[in-house]
Amino acid sequence: MTLYEIRNVSHCYSRGRHRLQALSGVNLDVREGEFLAIAGPSGSGKTTLLNILGLLHSPDEGTVRFKGMSLARLKERERTRLRREHIGFIFQTFNLIPVLTAYENVEYFLLNGTAPHAETRQRVVNTLDAVGISAQAGQRPNSLSGGQCQRVAIARALVRNTEVVLADEPTASLDQTTGVAVMDLMKRLNQERGVTFIFSTHDPRILAAAERVLHLSDGRITG
Amino acid sequence: MRPFALLLKLSLRNVFRNRRRSLVALGTIAMGAMGLFVFMGFNRGLMNQYRANTIRARWGHGQLFVQGYRGRAHADPAAKWIEMPGVVLERLRALPGVVSLFPRVTVNAMLVAGGQAVAGQGEGIDGIAEAGFFDQLNYVEGGDLRDHPAGLMLGQGLAQGLGVHVNDEVLLLTRDRKMDIRSAKVRVTGVFHTGSQEFDSRAFRIPLAVAQALLETDRVESIAVALSGVTAWPAFAKAARAALPGLEAVPFDELDKVYYRHAVDWLDAQFAFIRTIILLVVFLGIFNAISMTVMERTGEIGTLRANGSSRLEIAVGHLLESGALGLLGGAIGLLAGWSLSAGPLRDGIAMPPAPGITRSFRILIELGFRDALQVILLCAATSVAGCLLPVWRATHIPIAEALRHA
Repeated sequence: MTLYEIRNVSHCYSRGRHRLQALSGVNLDVREGEFLAIAGPSGSGKTTLLNILGLLHSPDEGTVRFKGMSLARLKERERTRLRREHIGFIFQTFNLIPVLTAYENVEYFLLNGTAPHAETRQRVVNTLDAVGISAQAGQRPNSLSGGQCQRVAIARALVRNTEVVLADEPTASLDQTTGVAVMDLMKRLNQERGVTFIFSTHDPRILAAAERVLHLSDGRITG
Repeated sequence: MRPFALLLKLSLRNVFRNRRRSLVALGTIAMGAMGLFVFMGFNRGLMNQYRANTIRARWGHGQLFVQGYRGRAHADPAAKWIEMPGVVLERLRALPGVVSLFPRVTVNAMLVAGGQAVAGQGEGIDGIAEAGFFDQLNYVEGGDLRDHPAGLMLGQGLAQGLGVHVNDEVLLLTRDRKMDIRSAKVRVTGVFHTGSQEFDSRAFRIPLAVAQALLETDRVESIAVALSGVTAWPAFAKAARAALPGLEAVPFDELDKVYYRHAVDWLDAQFAFIRTIILLVVFLGIFNAISMTVMERTGEIGTLRANGSSRLEIAVGHLLESGALGLLGGAIGLLAGWSLSAGPLRDGIAMPPAPGITRSFRILIELGFRDALQVILLCAATSVAGCLLPVWRATHIPIAEALRHA
């Protein structure tokens, strides 16, 4: 089943009188369960495309459909709900809440759930276990390594049983070995859980793990 | 409850996230709270002292008159005075809260001494009874009437007009109810001042019996009441109305409306203004601290929103944090204020004479539980109000832009 259908999407940033065309006429279909990489140099539009897929931006032109639903006229509240229920994010700089422990960073995003406390707890523990970080559950981000932080971030993205995880340069802040380990983890979770992963990178070794690679250049898909 | 508990935990931890900034914010709130708390205690002390002065200088806690007498002109005022005062006094003594009763009559007389004659307006009073309660009159010479059967207390201006001092003899000339001229020789026991030049230039006091003989009456014009405390007045007034329906009970602040009530209203307005300034300082301190904090956490707000947290959830977290800062800062301020009033300010603050009072006095800092509650709630509310705008701004930054701050 198609998760995303993107047709003729263009997006432009304005900085005073300057206009920067970030995306031009992008067409893309993403199937459920894909492990899709978006490659391209800096400024090629990778982050903009991920932001549009993550409902953080609305494109200036073109249409985006998520699970068959047009996102064009959604209100902010509906976008928030869609993100909460379907989409997880992983960032280059992890973006964990520094005053919360690894466990609490993951638990926080189940705040709106109606599940009983025991069930929530079990889900958090299972997710931390799945990313191999349960031993550090009680530690705060400043006492974790970069790889451990990114594992917590992955757990945070997955704990809500999201269908798609969008990762913007998830290995860019990690050393090569850790980056490969994180990518292996993402790949494993993709295969075991069927979660769709869409990630941007310009690291060829990371790209090698991808099932499909989308090349962007100057806001256009080149391959 | 669980989400709220986690939000609260997050907020409390964030309070101490940037310790230096939190300390600055807490310091601002604590200083404001301390200032406000001590100021309210000072205000209460001042008001209580001023009230005690007013009550014990002249009025008592209130006075009783015949219904319809006060505030109107009468051709024969004495006809509207209280009959059989002895019986009335007996019944009043049985009422709740009564400590002492002071029957009084007004007597207008010409005072003559050493060739000088000055018109005065006096009161006939129970010298012994009043000496025990009205201890706030300021004597420049001598003292009260006590048991002197023919004593005279004079306002300072009146004494100066007559050129008399303690132990000098003064002749009182007046007309009784039949318009016959009557006289009495009295001797100066004391010269007082109240702070009101106009009052002091015509006021005198003589024993009640002398005044009644001059006016040829056995009635009294009013009965001043000393109660066990100011709070006893409403119960007393209610009981007096029931026991003696022909009498009107008037509290001291209505009797002394010109000086006391207006002075209190004036001071209250001044205090409210100062209180507003203190709260504004707290508000600006919080606004600044929270603005910095929120700006610092823009990336985090972006992350939360990207992962599906609503603006409301994020705002609630920040409001809780500000509220916690306000409560904590307020509590520290209260503690500091209490320490200040129990330590360096234990003996109060020396003050110049208040309006209508010519004597300087010390104002004790009288801290109250309700003030403490009010201060801490005001601190929390001001802190929450101070964070509304920065939080609103932060939660309305486009998410992608907010994420760039991470």
